[in-house]
Amino acid sequence: MKRASRHYSALSLLRARLSGAGFWRPLWTGNRLEQAYDVVVVGAGGHGLATAYHLAKDHGIKRVAVLEKRLVGYGNVGRNTTIVRSNYLLPENHYFYEDALRRYEGLGRELNYNIMYSPRGVVDLALSDDDFPVLARRGNALRLAGIDAELMDRAALEKFVPALAPRRRRRFPIVGALVQHRGGTVRHDAVAWGYARAASALGVDIIEDCEVTGLHTTGNSATAVQTSQGEVQAGAVVFATAGHTGLVGKMLGVPLPIETHLLQAMVTEPVKPLLDTVLVYVAPGHAESYISQSDRGGMVLGGHIDGFPSYTREGAWHRLEDVVRATVEVLPQLGQLRLLRHWAGTNDMTMDGSPIIDRVKYDNVFLNAGWCYGGFKAIPASGAACASFVAKGTPPDLIRAYCLSRFATGHLLDEPGYGPYPVKL
Amino acid sequence: MACPFCGLRPLEEFLFRKTVPNVGAGSGVHLGAGAGVDAGDSASAYAQVYLRVDSAEHSVEEWQHVAGCRAWLLIDRNPSTGVVRSVALLGGAQ
Amino acid sequence: MVPGVRYGTRLKDGPVRFTFDGRIYEGRQGDTAASALLANGVVWFGRSVKSRRLRGVMTAGPEEPCALLTVGEYPNVVPNVPATECVLHDGMVLRSQNRWPSLAFDLASLLQWGGGLFTAGFYYKTFFLPGWRTFEPLIRRLAGLGLAPGPEAADSAVNHPPAEEHLSCDLLVVGAGPAGLAAARVAARSGLQVVVVEREAAIGGETEFEESVIDSQAAHHWLKAAISSAAARVRQGSRNPRRVPRAEPGSVRVLLQSTAVALSSDSVVAYREGHEATNFRIHARQVLNAVGAQEQPLVFVGNDLPGVQMLGGVERFAALYGWVPKGPVVLFGNHDRLYASALRLRGQGARVVAVVDTRSFNVASSHVRDDPAADEWRRAACSLLEAVGVQCLTGSTVRVARGGCRLRSVEVVAAAGTALARIIRCESLLMSGGWLPRRALPVGTVVGAAAGALDLAAAVASGHAGGVAALQQSGLLAAATELPVAPLATGDPSPRVEPYLRSPCALHEEKRQYLDLQNDVTVADLRVAIAEGFTHIEHAKRYTTLGIGTDQGRWGGSAGAAILADLQGLPPAAANTSRDRPPLVSVSLQAIAGWRVGDSFRLVRRTPLHDWHVAHGGNPEPMGLWFRPRFYAANGQDAATAAVVEAQRVRQIGGIADCSTLGKLEIAGPDAAKFLDEIYLPRPSTLAVGRSRYAVQLREDGMVLDDGLVLRVAEDRFLATTSSGHGLHVLSHLEHHRAHRAGLRVSIADVTDCWAVIALAGRTVADVLQALLGRDPRELSPMAFWDWRGPVQGVGVAGQGAQRLRVLRAGFSGELSFELHCSPALALPLWEALLAGGLEPYGLDALDILRVEKGYLTTSEITGQVTPLDLGMETMVAKAGPCIGLELLQRPAFHELQRPRLVGLRAADGQSSFLAGSQLTVGPDDRMPVGYVTSSVFSAQLGETVALAFAARDVAPLGTVLWARDPLRGRDVQVRVVTPVHFDPAGERLRGRY
Repeated sequence: MKRASRHYSALSLLRARLSGAGFWRPLWTGNRLEQAYDVVVVGAGGHGLATAYHLAKDHGIKRVAVLEKRLVGYGNVGRNTTIVRSNYLLPENHYFYEDALRRYEGLGRELNYNIMYSPRGVVDLALSDDDFPVLARRGNALRLAGIDAELMDRAALEKFVPALAPRRRRRFPIVGALVQHRGGTVRHDAVAWGYARAASALGVDIIEDCEVTGLHTTGNSATAVQTSQGEVQAGAVVFATAGHTGLVGKMLGVPLPIETHLLQAMVTEPVKPLLDTVLVYVAPGHAESYISQSDRGGMVLGGHIDGFPSYTREGAWHRLEDVVRATVEVLPQLGQLRLLRHWAGTNDMTMDGSPIIDRVKYDNVFLNAGWCYGGFKAIPASGAACASFVAKGTPPDLIRAYCLSRFATGHLLDEPGYGPYPVKL
Repeated sequence: MACPFCGLRPLEEFLFRKTVPNVGAGSGVHLGAGAGVDAGDSASAYAQVYLRVDSAEHSVEEWQHVAGCRAWLLIDRNPSTGVVRSVALLGGAQ
Repeated sequence: MVPGVRYGTRLKDGPVRFTFDGRIYEGRQGDTAASALLANGVVWFGRSVKSRRLRGVMTAGPEEPCALLTVGEYPNVVPNVPATECVLHDGMVLRSQNRWPSLAFDLASLLQWGGGLFTAGFYYKTFFLPGWRTFEPLIRRLAGLGLAPGPEAADSAVNHPPAEEHLSCDLLVVGAGPAGLAAARVAARSGLQVVVVEREAAIGGETEFEESVIDSQAAHHWLKAAISSAAARVRQGSRNPRRVPRAEPGSVRVLLQSTAVALSSDSVVAYREGHEATNFRIHARQVLNAVGAQEQPLVFVGNDLPGVQMLGGVERFAALYGWVPKGPVVLFGNHDRLYASALRLRGQGARVVAVVDTRSFNVASSHVRDDPAADEWRRAACSLLEAVGVQCLTGSTVRVARGGCRLRSVEVVAAAGTALARIIRCESLLMSGGWLPRRALPVGTVVGAAAGALDLAAAVASGHAGGVAALQQSGLLAAATELPVAPLATGDPSPRVEPYLRSPCALHEEKRQYLDLQNDVTVADLRVAIAEGFTHIEHAKRYTTLGIGTDQGRWGGSAGAAILADLQGLPPAAANTSRDRPPLVSVSLQAIAGWRVGDSFRLVRRTPLHDWHVAHGGNPEPMGLWFRPRFYAANGQDAATAAVVEAQRVRQIGGIADCSTLGKLEIAGPDAAKFLDEIYLPRPSTLAVGRSRYAVQLREDGMVLDDGLVLRVAEDRFLATTSSGHGLHVLSHLEHHRAHRAGLRVSIADVTDCWAVIALAGRTVADVLQALLGRDPRELSPMAFWDWRGPVQGVGVAGQGAQRLRVLRAGFSGELSFELHCSPALALPLWEALLAGGLEPYGLDALDILRVEKGYLTTSEITGQVTPLDLGMETMVAKAGPCIGLELLQRPAFHELQRPRLVGLRAADGQSSFLAGSQLTVGPDDRMPVGYVTSSVFSAQLGETVALAFAARDVAPLGTVLWARDPLRGRDVQVRVVTPVHFDPAGERLRGRY
């Protein structure tokens, strides 16, 4: 018998104070693996949990299990730099990510879990006059689609981000930026835990320490998954195993256009507020840094992938140095701050940089993968769209372009123009 | 990473390009079986360019020693530990 | 000993004056902020983050979680400096952190009276309306520790970057304590090159304040001698910017104030910050981690009160800085060292009143049974202490530390229950809950205290054994040789630690049993975490924020994991602790950034004419890694006006431009032509020697990778140009293809920096060039070139030695044009000769105007997202043979109507301007774009804005009217599709017909 977690509110804090620690209940329950489910979701990260939640909430499919090899939220959802935005160039992407951003705006209330959506702005820095046409192309596409974007010159940028001091002499001068004000940050753990709690409350089973090792099939359909806790029958299977999708491909015997790469992030010691926005810096010579300040005060820094396949979740030090150099180039005053720790996630990098939500090989097996750098910011839209796909059998318009066949047909969604290489060559 | 010409050099001197399918490694995967693609000449080019076969222990990769002799190398690595099993010249050419 | 004067091994003569929170204090040279302020009677040093509780000094090392100060005046502040590490100098300005308006009275500390409302994770459960953003600014101001430096902060990193030193050695020893130095000593004496990295400013570790003896010498002296004897040589970290020093065999080099933090590609990365800052990369054949062990706290009610300190820390203060606590002192712990410390502290003048030992000692207990000698020692120590009035309470524990803002008394009970509670008045409680190994590098072996050898004898033996093992590994010790004898050491006895989970307490008191002093995480918070289902340590840490502060859980993190297991009824072995990741200790960002900051952040590439541009108002700007002149100041005060002037001059008279940044690759060999045919369209093999052709190369997926010229220099030699900045990328592309075509005999070289390129364009340039060469360059047919051998007027003789010159009839402007490719040494003389002939320079922006007028492409159009078909190169593709990219170009998407096509645009009204980056739509309010503008310039020649753009094929026919939408910059302009070749479509000027 599941006991739902308590409803949260300021009043509930007061009641807990009066009752004691026993007042609270586990966020998610249902750790007993049943024999059969309508849908088995593999991976209790953001996308898996959101998909399970929407299956139950939007489509009334409650016999759902989310099977997780390690712990809820232990994967990339808990390792990213918490940035959310929808300022992508291509319409197939910006409408999708905008759907996610709009959902993030109300997600805290919807899940009754404070996800700390902070629309503090995402600032894509321009480093020469030649950058403006490229940024403008993106910004204008966004504005036509009804998504907010602002092109700032140096003077406006100086007012918006005082810590930046754009007129300072730099190797690559900062001349302006493309800004999305509604973008910003969200507390990543809260998203995973919030969805897990809400899904569990709707009847979804969340099973940790349960690794899916194989798939049982008959003809063109999957019938069951083989797990470390036994065989589980499934009406449909959704793989949301970012960072291990390549291995899923191996399990299914299907090569995929995905390479698994490592993405580092790091945080400094906490200081009083100094940066109230997200800075994105991409400079010649493969220099990049994403800089924001967490609500606890630490500067959260990240860059691009290390550049070679890795499952180690431990980044190469020379890549970390590169990101730190880029950071200090943008905000030299950060030089005095101390790096406390760094960590890494394992990313599915697709051969065009955009995700894959599609059937794979069997008519009831779905892949929700290939998120590259855009996994965290996509979670709410991905969950809703993927659930709809699984429940109805056809992909909703929003994700139609994320099909697996696009690589063969040429309908690529290559935002930066790097081609079939996750690494910028 | 040990370059056949230059010896053991720091990792940052090398640039990774792509993984290549484990030909003959018994991975149990048939290439060219990408979803919805017509077989034919383009199937092999498509597979070569786009498809990857990921393995957590075994990865055969193309790297270039860009900050050194610029040789192209075929490297057999374990991506879960980073240990390099073997390094060969790509294509066996000079 | 003079009363009132402190004696400490780190103190020197001479006072130091400094301010703390606006008050002036005096200390001694060598004092840290902590020791000087403690000596001045200061008790409060800061406030914690969450509940803003007052904090004192807890430890005496870099892992200090409480006494964090801000040094300096805004904007040049350094926040979060542990007072225990902050060596004072005269005039230093220090401030406590995280309090307002003052340390003594902090407004936000009133939040503490919210009591149990603000348990762990409370913020996930509220702040729903109106939204997080409403509360966030206040929460952020309350969070964080010190104030960050301001943007005006002096660029110390840029002006004084650290030195960088690469060194190799046979053995790297991390830590210069007794174990580390014992290892270094035996290794060096047998011939290994040893490098020792030590975080402190002095060697010796704990022997600095223990009375210890090694081989009949005072330990400290033995250690110094061990590494400086005749057989070994010591060089204390000398400043050695980027030179690789050669260590002699059998030497020891000690790097003080340096911390090993991580591995980078098999090298150990170590940093020395501050004075003589250096980044070390140490390539070591073997590594020994002698990093020591971290003293652990005990968990009891009120263990965060100012006045509660770590015992080892206070011993350090006493020995190094001559400070012992005033007032009554109680010691509390679970090992034998308590007694040695009590005796020592008493000897240094501390008023020790009690020693509380959680272990029981009856005849049947394991402590007595297993080690009667140790127990004998303990009992002797107890007798000595009791004789001078110190209570020795065994089997007891401190249950509560009491006091409002500082410690006043402790409640001691029997360890097994609450019977026999007694109150002992005191002002200091020094606790020690045993030791856990410090973080070590993930390579090599661990020796010394870090391997569990907690007394001097064991540590020295362990270090020595490690050194011997290293020798054996290196083959320097033949099997038959006798192993070097380990030194005999005596010091404090082995402590016989008995793990103690936490003191008993009632449920409502658990919120004052602290596990994290910065984020105020208590045992009560762990209970909440468990109740909410966060039972795994990874979850519990994230949920409660245990261990995420500046000390990263070094104080209390392990205790927290053990208690988390215990609260769930799990055995302590089940306490899963998280993985150690680098950096082993925190490092400043400026240390990590190293010297590659400021102008050294990225490679700077300059053309041979750079200085000329600078001297003549060219003001070169960064374009990628290159520096190039956009315009020349003499022609206008900004880019827009000057570029128009320069472009017009080219169209009317002529001009020269520096195009040396073009990438250039030389491809040679018997199979060069065959090789290039697989890469470039059209096929270079059909080029005659002495001719060139515009060519594109495709990426494997069919997109255009780059474009440029291919020159056939000889039957088996070609020169290919690439877009500026793409040289290396294309080079790799070619080399990669060659690797896949084993058997083809072709060599490829990057000659970008071997050739300067000067472009000449305009009706008068041929005459000027003729005067220099003595031959009319119009004899060259378009796209042909000469390898010039012979004199060049006013310049020199080309074709001799290193002086090379090629005269190519090609250009990027649509005028009669030539490109002079010459050796870099010839560039300036040639340039000046051309200027003398009456030509004037034009910059990048003018070049852009000229090329857009003619529909020539740059990376603005070739974005990596377009196919050759999109660019109108159908014929080139149709005629191509097997070549990279052609197969995948056949994919259906590339032949659809929505696919973009290169077009030219002009304003429908013939005068409005519109910018690159505008999106194209059919109707003025359409949401879905059908294309976008890639390049847009004002053409003085045509009197209006002309542009290049991509438009979907079904709207690309000439004459179509579209809207160029630019909401970002507030303009929507109606435009008409025209040919991309806006000016002189017949190409008359190119042929020299004016």
